[in-house]
Amino acid sequence: MILRAALLFPFLVLGLEAQPLTTDTLQFLKTHCVRCHGPEKQKGGITLDKFKTLDDAFEYHGLLENVLHQVEEGEMPPWDEDVQPTEKEKAALLADLGVISARIKSGDVPTRAGRVVLRRLNKNEYRYTVRDLFGVKFNPAANFPEDGAGGEGFDTMADALFSTPTLLEKYLQAATRVIDAVYADSQLRRKAIFESPRGKEDPVPVARKILRFHTSLAYRKRVTDQDLAPLLSAFQRGIQSGQSFADALRTPLTAILVNPRFLFRQEHDQKEAEEWPLTDFELATRLSYFLWSSMPDRELFQLADSQQLSQPDVLEAQIDRMLDSPKSRALSRHFAGQWIGFDRLINETQPDTERFPEFTRPLRRAMYFEAALFFSHLIEENRPITDLISSDYTFANETLAEHYQLSAKPSGPEMVKVPLDTVNRGGVLGMGGVLTSTSLPLRTSPVLRGVWILDTLLGSPAPPPPPDAGELPGDDTAAGGLTFREQLEEHRKKKECASCHARIDPLGFSLENYDAIGRWREKDANGKPIDSMAVMEGGLAFQSPADLKSLIMGGKDKFAENMCRKMLSYALGRPLRYYDEAILADLVKNLQKEKYHLRPLIKSVVTSRPFLMRSATR
Amino acid sequence: MNIQRNRWQLSRRQTLKGIGATLALPFLEAMRPMTAAAQGAGGIDPVRMACLFMPNGVRSDAWTPSGKGENFTLSPILSPLEAVKEDLLVISGLTNRPAHHGDGHYFKSASWLTCTTIEHTNGANISAHGQSMDQIAAEAIGKRTKLPSLELGVERVRSGVDTNVNITRLYGSHIAWKRPDVPLPCELNPRAAFDRLFKERAPSSGGPSRDSSVLDIVLQDAKAMQRTLGSEDRHKLEQYLESVREVERRIENEENSVSQGQNITPAAHKEIRELERRVTRAAGRRVRDDLGSTPRIDPTEHVRLMMDLMVLAFWTDSTRVATFMFGNSVSNKNFSFLDGVSGSHHSISHHKNNADQLDQYQRINTWHAEQYAYMLTRLKGIPEGSSNLLDKSMILFGSGIRDGNGHVPHDIPTCVAGSGNGQLKTGRHLNAGRGEPLAGLHYGLLKRLGAEPKKFGDARREIRGLS
Repeated sequence: MILRAALLFPFLVLGLEAQPLTTDTLQFLKTHCVRCHGPEKQKGGITLDKFKTLDDAFEYHGLLENVLHQVEEGEMPPWDEDVQPTEKEKAALLADLGVISARIKSGDVPTRAGRVVLRRLNKNEYRYTVRDLFGVKFNPAANFPEDGAGGEGFDTMADALFSTPTLLEKYLQAATRVIDAVYADSQLRRKAIFESPRGKEDPVPVARKILRFHTSLAYRKRVTDQDLAPLLSAFQRGIQSGQSFADALRTPLTAILVNPRFLFRQEHDQKEAEEWPLTDFELATRLSYFLWSSMPDRELFQLADSQQLSQPDVLEAQIDRMLDSPKSRALSRHFAGQWIGFDRLINETQPDTERFPEFTRPLRRAMYFEAALFFSHLIEENRPITDLISSDYTFANETLAEHYQLSAKPSGPEMVKVPLDTVNRGGVLGMGGVLTSTSLPLRTSPVLRGVWILDTLLGSPAPPPPPDAGELPGDDTAAGGLTFREQLEEHRKKKECASCHARIDPLGFSLENYDAIGRWREKDANGKPIDSMAVMEGGLAFQSPADLKSLIMGGKDKFAENMCRKMLSYALGRPLRYYDEAILADLVKNLQKEKYHLRPLIKSVVTSRPFLMRSATR
Repeated sequence: MNIQRNRWQLSRRQTLKGIGATLALPFLEAMRPMTAAAQGAGGIDPVRMACLFMPNGVRSDAWTPSGKGENFTLSPILSPLEAVKEDLLVISGLTNRPAHHGDGHYFKSASWLTCTTIEHTNGANISAHGQSMDQIAAEAIGKRTKLPSLELGVERVRSGVDTNVNITRLYGSHIAWKRPDVPLPCELNPRAAFDRLFKERAPSSGGPSRDSSVLDIVLQDAKAMQRTLGSEDRHKLEQYLESVREVERRIENEENSVSQGQNITPAAHKEIRELERRVTRAAGRRVRDDLGSTPRIDPTEHVRLMMDLMVLAFWTDSTRVATFMFGNSVSNKNFSFLDGVSGSHHSISHHKNNADQLDQYQRINTWHAEQYAYMLTRLKGIPEGSSNLLDKSMILFGSGIRDGNGHVPHDIPTCVAGSGNGQLKTGRHLNAGRGEPLAGLHYGLLKRLGAEPKKFGDARREIRGLS
């Protein structure tokens, strides 16, 4: 019976019995790992008991890399475990996992484009899209609940965008407010209701024309009569109850903005196909939400309608045009903002107001726009992404330049590009937004800054501390005789803390000359000189932001790989899977070939298989 | 009052058809004979429930009251509750076993009201694997009130992924789960929450309102669209459809209930106006949300505004179920506004048994208990029936972990106040027994709301000794 099925449906049998990992590997995990990383305990939040087949190894490849790394470095199993693996056992494990890891990176795995679930517009996308549709100036999404995030940490993640009754209520209010604002503004109104029936002319065809125009844009497709029917019948009901032409359009226009075809981005399925290209309309939509966080404009729609957009040269020209547009600032604010983390300045970062009265709203704003404008500059000028690590310029206004004590003296509130004469500023590590967001309300945190560098810049987050590790006092003024740094050194003496903190802390120490709101300082809160000397394991010593930057520049490929990962995930709106690893490797290779310039990276993301295609399974 | 009573009896049928209402029926003495719809299960007064979540645990040696049963002395942290001690049931010994897996915080907060093991994910398959008990309650008793449930908080949803443990931070910011895969976000802005509850809808001039017509249209479109989707996409759109239907029902409820002025006791009306003044002082007249314009509300006032909103929502019977989050899990809120505290919540909760840190931790915990006491006192001051609103309610207060220092999941801090209309025996310290499931308490609360499930979380019965 099974044999018969196998002949008819060979894929069935493959799916039934996934290839197991080798017995040696399974035995190793069972003997040395699962006791602390299994059903009983989940130290470090890591569980390895699910790790049984080759498919599992693909699926949890991040974990696999972690195991590989930990065993290779001798971090795991812990030295004080009674039962230790022999060198031979270790070598066998490393060889086995190494083969799997290499297969993933080279794409020698079952590959596919991947599949994004029906995606709701997030709060920002809604705001920009409504702006582009109807020209209203205010932010109708201001009171929408905050969107959660997932994957590589972005709010474009389809799976993490939910619909709730509260949100729907707000959509309803926002739509009403937008349409009423359009009606109240003669210019916007003329643009929206661009034609009226003359004399005794039948109003229905005119209404159809107006509604067809707006729905085509709002639904991002060629609309059908079926799409228009409910809107038109609402219009007719209005006319029948004696409303004027414009008033009868009010309800259907409002309905467009609450419509699921507007609020959700749908991509078509093809029966019985494994994988297929997006339609040109779908491509236009993906592209404009990636680069603009908004709907496609007229030119993109026209190219989509004539099916030219997917032609490589047309697509490339469009990417350049879109990046030249001021709308690409959305990519800076929302992609870079969430990745680098300067968007935390908007609502999260909260230095203590009494300790830091200097941290005013204008300063907060300036820090935010310093980072956003910096990234936009990379886009506009097609600068290398390594400018993010180190640059001889930044953006500042009078307030920020004073805060940084720059020799350049811009005047007034306007942010301008300024040259830097100190190597300590320049790049994200010298930005107030980053330095403040990685501090605690009352003091700097070398640990948080170190973790931020490992995680955000290099993409190799440190494992979580054990729960009882303790934290140092939140305030650095009452240090009980010890300087803050001395306390941290004390803390690190604990064996279970030392190995991670040896990686983390030095990175943060070298930034200690920046206080908790990003000012340069020579003395700490207790008047003692800052000790920014940092020694990495292995003896590598450095002591200033400038040193740190050249250290990171030395590992710029790790930085580049991390940025590619972040950008691909942001653009796709889904977490990355094992089959994306080979795509990533290509992105990095191409970036190196292009001397790290930003635009080629964006272009290779857009022309990658997962961006252009959709597959039947995730 | 007499005049009102007469008017009610004369014109009820007519007024119920009135349009332009904001509020659902307040549960008034005068209306009781008529508003069967507003009554709880079995024809008794409706019971209300709020669940107040406190992040980051408590100082363990300052939480548990001394003594058992009715003869107990409040602990230092709970001392602000002295004035409402008779209404308080402190429960010791509970644990939320399904949440023992996974990390220290997220697993133990997202599941506080679901008593399930949440899916360990960075986003692709978010699921609490269960509905939260407030939402089960809302489905059972929330259909006739303006809002089935109210979710409030004071701290933003934390975006992104906690790369330390590779979990979406979303789990730390949500305790209410409408469906296993649909968390409900908290409203943070008191202005928005106030408007939603109490702002009058513009009266519509006959016929269906624009809102209902709009929903009508989009429902048709959504159904048509549904047919073109694959199964996962269909599931996403189903969330939308369900929301449309629920809002439709809300609007219908509003349009069918009487208008605000006729419907509210002068005392409640006065309180609503007073609250509006405070909301305006704290958060302005309109909802704003631009860079740097986050309402800078005094933290205590922010919490109290939210509590007053819940109190007034209960009083006016606009909802019977509410959840409130004092903060997100792992909240690092700066508590330096308290005397003797300099630092942030999560950092201080990892106190290493350092005496100074423990003292600060206790002060933060005590502040939470003070706010709880504030809400209970407010409820108690509002007469309803032969007793007061607190007596008609069950207000749960607690945390997902005991001692924040080690993320201890045993004997988690838990109190309930209000007897749920005589259904809970309060004024006691109940030792439920070590390891008794938190789910057993939730089970008991649901039962008293008339929503008895067969099984909830890891409990098939309520914990012993609740009544």
